[in-house]
Amino acid sequence: MTLDPFMVMLLDVLVKAIVIVVALLGAYAYMTLAERYVMARVQVRIGPNRVGRVGPIAVLQPVADAVKTIFKEDFCPANADKIVYTLAPGLAVAIALLAWAVIPLSPPLTIAGYTIHFYIADVGIAALYLLAVGSLGVYAIVLGGWSSNNKYSLLGGLRSAAQMISYEVSLGLALVGVLMISGSLSLVDIVEKQSPIWNVVWQPVGFVLYCICAVAETNRVPFDLPEAETELVAGYSTEYGSLKFALFYMAEYINIVTVSAIAATMFLGGYQGPFGLLPGAHWLLLKIAVFIFIFMWMRATLPRFRYDQLMRFGWKVLLPLGLANVFATAVVMVLLGR
Amino acid sequence: MAVTPPPGPPEPTVNLNDPQVVAEKIQAALPDAVESASAQGIVIKREKILDVARWLHDSADTQFDYLHNLTSVDWLDHFTVVYQVSNLTRGGAPITITVNVGKEDPTVPSLTSVYRGADFQEREVYDMMGIRFEGHPNLRRILLWEGFAGHPLRKDYHEPYYEEEKKPFGSRWDKGHHIPAEDRNPWHDNVTYPPHFDAAAYRTPPDEIRTFDAEPITATRLRTDKIVLNIGPQHPSTHGVLRLRATLDGETIVAVEPIMGYLHRDHEKIGERNMYLQNMPFTDRLDYITSMANNLAYAVAVEKLMGLKPPERAEYIRVLMAELTRFMNHILAIGFIYNDLGAFYTPVIYGFEERELILDLFEAVAGSRMMCNYMRFGGVARDLPEGWLDRARYLADERLPRRTDELEAYLVKNELFAARAKRVGILPRDKAINYGCAGPVLRASGVKYDVRRAEPYSIYDRFDFDIPTGTLGDIYDRVTVRIAEMRESIKILKQVIQQMPAGEIQTGKKNYQVRPPKGAVYGRAENPKGELGFYLVSDGSPNPYRYHVRSPSFINLGALNEMAAGNKIADLVAILGSVDITMGEVDR
Repeated sequence: MTLDPFMVMLLDVLVKAIVIVVALLGAYAYMTLAERYVMARVQVRIGPNRVGRVGPIAVLQPVADAVKTIFKEDFCPANADKIVYTLAPGLAVAIALLAWAVIPLSPPLTIAGYTIHFYIADVGIAALYLLAVGSLGVYAIVLGGWSSNNKYSLLGGLRSAAQMISYEVSLGLALVGVLMISGSLSLVDIVEKQSPIWNVVWQPVGFVLYCICAVAETNRVPFDLPEAETELVAGYSTEYGSLKFALFYMAEYINIVTVSAIAATMFLGGYQGPFGLLPGAHWLLLKIAVFIFIFMWMRATLPRFRYDQLMRFGWKVLLPLGLANVFATAVVMVLLGR
Repeated sequence: MAVTPPPGPPEPTVNLNDPQVVAEKIQAALPDAVESASAQGIVIKREKILDVARWLHDSADTQFDYLHNLTSVDWLDHFTVVYQVSNLTRGGAPITITVNVGKEDPTVPSLTSVYRGADFQEREVYDMMGIRFEGHPNLRRILLWEGFAGHPLRKDYHEPYYEEEKKPFGSRWDKGHHIPAEDRNPWHDNVTYPPHFDAAAYRTPPDEIRTFDAEPITATRLRTDKIVLNIGPQHPSTHGVLRLRATLDGETIVAVEPIMGYLHRDHEKIGERNMYLQNMPFTDRLDYITSMANNLAYAVAVEKLMGLKPPERAEYIRVLMAELTRFMNHILAIGFIYNDLGAFYTPVIYGFEERELILDLFEAVAGSRMMCNYMRFGGVARDLPEGWLDRARYLADERLPRRTDELEAYLVKNELFAARAKRVGILPRDKAINYGCAGPVLRASGVKYDVRRAEPYSIYDRFDFDIPTGTLGDIYDRVTVRIAEMRESIKILKQVIQQMPAGEIQTGKKNYQVRPPKGAVYGRAENPKGELGFYLVSDGSPNPYRYHVRSPSFINLGALNEMAAGNKIADLVAILGSVDITMGEVDR
């Protein structure tokens, strides 16, 4: 039996896309649970301990949460822009998922003569694609905030627009150093070139810059101004309920996984083990898990910046640092003749 | 060992805390302003009160720069407006100034131009008693809604659904037959709308900027429209059901107007229906975080009226409870400031951990954790159970100091916190005094004033402790002052536990129905949130004729606009947190 190569590729991509989406949705569900446990531990509490407990872990809690969320009334504020209001949460999730098309999860595996690549697409300009998709995320939040016809939502949306645009610049600059060293925009190449030494060794400043900007990009503490609970109630998602709210929430958590995955891929060798030990998806997952834990830890610990401080920090500290990092990288590369 | 307090400022040659002395001085400066003067207070002619107040405030001799309390009494044939003023540097008991005003169209000149702290209090008197204040810039109802018919603290206002005016009611559950109170009540249709009021046609008034004196922010380059944002009453960080009407220019606050009364239950009217002792558990509900301290303040006021002195052991127990309460309140207050700053509940929960231990002690001694109802007139309700002092000693000697150090190390020395708190929400010293702020808010602005030192009540004159002050009056100072006060509380706790004597806990026998002699007192105590005062008028009956609460949260809130204007909206919630209010006390 001969297989049409195009059909094989299509099937291959389809299967991988479905697997990744399902995995991310599962990750979202259990990240909410993990976050509740992490925060509970930080706050000398027990955490969820009622629903479907296996040992000390309430494994069915996300299921209960999902059921509850789905059965909530799906409402729309009277003076909202209904189309945009409904569209925004879906847009948020769709954009959050897009980035996963180019992230390599594991080295290729050959089974029965067929090589499986653990990425959906090896695009030549994958790094640029990541940045581009990342910038789209702000649309969902601004549209959601604007269409709700609520002052808190509007303020949240405005803050989000200003914050994400500001920090995207520094985020991009933080990655430029890596791209210069690797000489490629393809994530697969970037990962392969980090054997045996990870980029974080050559780009420590870029790594720190990236981490800070990534937190700001995902609107997490201490940069969670768009949804600052104590100021703006829930920011852009104030008027959202039921599944629409869950979608915004989902987008936020998928974004956390995404930026963690990018950090691991760009700076920490992706699926490469330390010193090239046993490469495989488990390393990438471990690195992502560490990042996610740090996100949760910060949420339970830090107070948040004020809006003007955030902007000042972004433009006056991070951006010059990022530029200096690019400049220093270029100078060193020229001096070393690479 | 009794420790003498550190020497204060030198005693003036004439006692300016004596109303008669002050009255002579007023008489000399402003002839025929004084109607009469006694040890109880000075009666000033109605037209002259503004001049007298301004003279008392500005004169180099008197310098009464602080308005403690402003309230009113309905004497059936006339009203009396009561002022308590003093000088914060001299300290001592405030002197009482009263103004009599007739029942027909009662108007009194407003003191807001002299004491800004009179703003809210005059509005409250207007709301509750119907006395108009001429020259008040914003004389609207404050606790009740516009359109409420009548003024509930007037004696001719009868509350619906109560069969009698005064407790104890005679016919309650007569032979087990319960008749619904509203059927027996002659005043059951007392809830009336004003004439020509049509609820269906009523529209809330349009948004307009109605703050005391909002200074426009003119520094913006762009011509922008201002938006009015209602923060609350349902909002995560208004500490209850407070509404802040913030006028914003972008994210910058132009003006804030606190709108309150959502939790109003006319505490004072209910207090006048209750007997004296029945008000003791009712004071628990004022500031429900600090019920023990509220009890103490009320007991101090009533004992002042009755001339009662509790036994030694009871005094020590009272101080012990009050200082535990102070520690607990401050650790929660600091936690909630962090919550407002976005540190999501973690510091609060660590604060709760200590609070639980203190509440365990309260539960062991009073039977209740929050609504303690523990103090009695001339003593306390129960003696300390066995082993209680050891638990308190463990807290005071080991646990609480350690936790205070941790708190300071992790929270106050946090860079993010310093960035958010330093030079934000500044309340200058003179403004803090003029607005009548009290407690940590006042001390953070650099005023070394504490009722425990200025007019020592209970046995606070025996203990060695300092009054921590701030310098700038920003959020950071308010937090550091609270932490320093927690340390001072621990210091007092250690002394109390060490010196705790044995003996009686109650003067005389337990008395459920006290009848204080006729008279009026202003009794006060340094609550964790500030000066909690009770103005009590007794007519010799078992029920107080007038029962007024000088609530520190309420009056501190008056300075919110001053602190918040010009800052960002994110700072507003933090500033509100640093003022540390409890809505139960604000709305009463």
